[in-house]
Amino acid sequence: MTQTSVSAKVSGEAYGAPAPKSGENTWLWLLKIVTGPLLVIFLAVHFIVNHYIGETGLLTYKDVVAYYQNPLIPIMEIGFLASVVTHSLLGLRGIILDLKPSRNFLKILDWVFLIAGILIVVYGTWLALTIASRGA
Amino acid sequence: MSEKWNITLKVSRQKEGETPHFDEYKMEVDPDEYVLDAVERVWAFMDRTVCFRHACHHSTCGACGMRVNNVEKLTCITSIRDMCQDGGTLKVEPLRNFPVISDLAVDMGSLYNRLEAVGARSVLPVPEAEIEKPASTWDPADQQYIRLADCIECGLCISACPSAATSSGYLGPAVLAGAQANGLKRNPELLQLVDAEDGVWRCHSAFECSAVCPSLVDPARRIMNLRTQVFTERFSRLFHKA
Amino acid sequence: MEKPSPDKFWTWFNPVGRETGGWAFILNRVTALGLTFYLYLHLVILSQLATGPQAYDQFVALMRNPISISAEVLVVAAGIMHGLNGIRIVLTTFGFGVTRQKQLFYGLMALALVIILFFTVRMFTA
Ligand code: SF4
Repeated sequence: MTQTSVSAKVSGEAYGAPAPKSGENTWLWLLKIVTGPLLVIFLAVHFIVNHYIGETGLLTYKDVVAYYQNPLIPIMEIGFLASVVTHSLLGLRGIILDLKPSRNFLKILDWVFLIAGILIVVYGTWLALTIASRGA
Repeated sequence: MSEKWNITLKVSRQKEGETPHFDEYKMEVDPDEYVLDAVERVWAFMDRTVCFRHACHHSTCGACGMRVNNVEKLTCITSIRDMCQDGGTLKVEPLRNFPVISDLAVDMGSLYNRLEAVGARSVLPVPEAEIEKPASTWDPADQQYIRLADCIECGLCISACPSAATSSGYLGPAVLAGAQANGLKRNPELLQLVDAEDGVWRCHSAFECSAVCPSLVDPARRIMNLRTQVFTERFSRLFHKA
Repeated sequence: MEKPSPDKFWTWFNPVGRETGGWAFILNRVTALGLTFYLYLHLVILSQLATGPQAYDQFVALMRNPISISAEVLVVAAGIMHGLNGIRIVLTTFGFGVTRQKQLFYGLMALALVIILFFTVRMFTA
């Protein structure tokens, strides 16, 4: 069986099924399935520290700034943000795939998601560093 | 003495392109008869225009799959007793996710085509059938014995699958199960077919296929195993070109 | 050629005639959409932190009413259910518990319920 015959058979003209499309692949899936459990861990830590530090948790601006003085915290929060953005954009993309987007639309979408994802993480990093720097 | 129940059979009626409606048939049945028997009785004594598919009557041909009270069933082995009560209603509809040809008969051409494309075998060596134990634990000598594959190509799994519902291009549980049984090791060219948008990754882990499969194929388990196969293959190709 | 068909898109949402795994899938997707919405809302709101103490503390004060807290409980609940359901998906994907996925689902959801109740009580009384 050659490669062309595989796709030709699946597309089986009479039934109008599409040839294999490359809208999804091992690596995208891997990213989603690895960020998933990471998020469970991050979220647990995020919940616990944000709500159980001190008596009432981080409720005031002052608390948050003080908390960000520990260098591990901004690093963790940025890792959390990167994972959550990746996971959510990939998940959203998976749902959009169910709408059977045209190839052109998907290409544009991929770029929009990639750039948006990077911008959000950059913004988050900036925010975390800003907060951390206010403590001095 | 055999029991008698009075039931109403609600049959989905639809010729190609029409919107479906239900016709109701009241009848006396033995609850230990099968749903297919009731449908046949309509055809035999009440309405000659009812269209449905069936052949073997013993869960081998895979032709009589329908939705009975919203759940995919192989009607030749689904007893009426299991689906309703005396005086109750049995609703039969055609399988989802296939084009309806007429009433309860659907066009399963896409399924057969795709099964062929992944080289799904109808007969295979016993160890590879993974009955009772994983392939690796069989005695190599058993390789000489063959058996029929479990899948009877009934399409119930495709009908039950929410991913197949939104994407008609999705290869679907039975096909991916066929690919898994065939194995990427033996058929590396399957990789481009299953490692794609409409392949293994389209599965959203709803496990509906395994819930309705009448033949213990457990397509969901096989899809998960195929994922591991795909991943292993892709990973090893990173290091040496195939 | 397959055409975009938004009408069929919503079929995933229909729970009729579905089983445990199908409900889990619906639950997972609904919570996913909710959490995605919340995530980006959360990020916008956090930009308040950058504008300084007044704006942020005012905002936090504003959020301390039963309606906002209920909304937060919903988010927390969605996160917990999505996360624990995700554990089921990861395990089964790698071949663990595939034949026990229903029990796995009910077990994890029972755990989710306990955690959600804990947070609900805690959030309303804190
Ligand atoms: S995998 Fe099971 S449900 Fe699907 S076509 Fe084969 S026998 Fe039918």
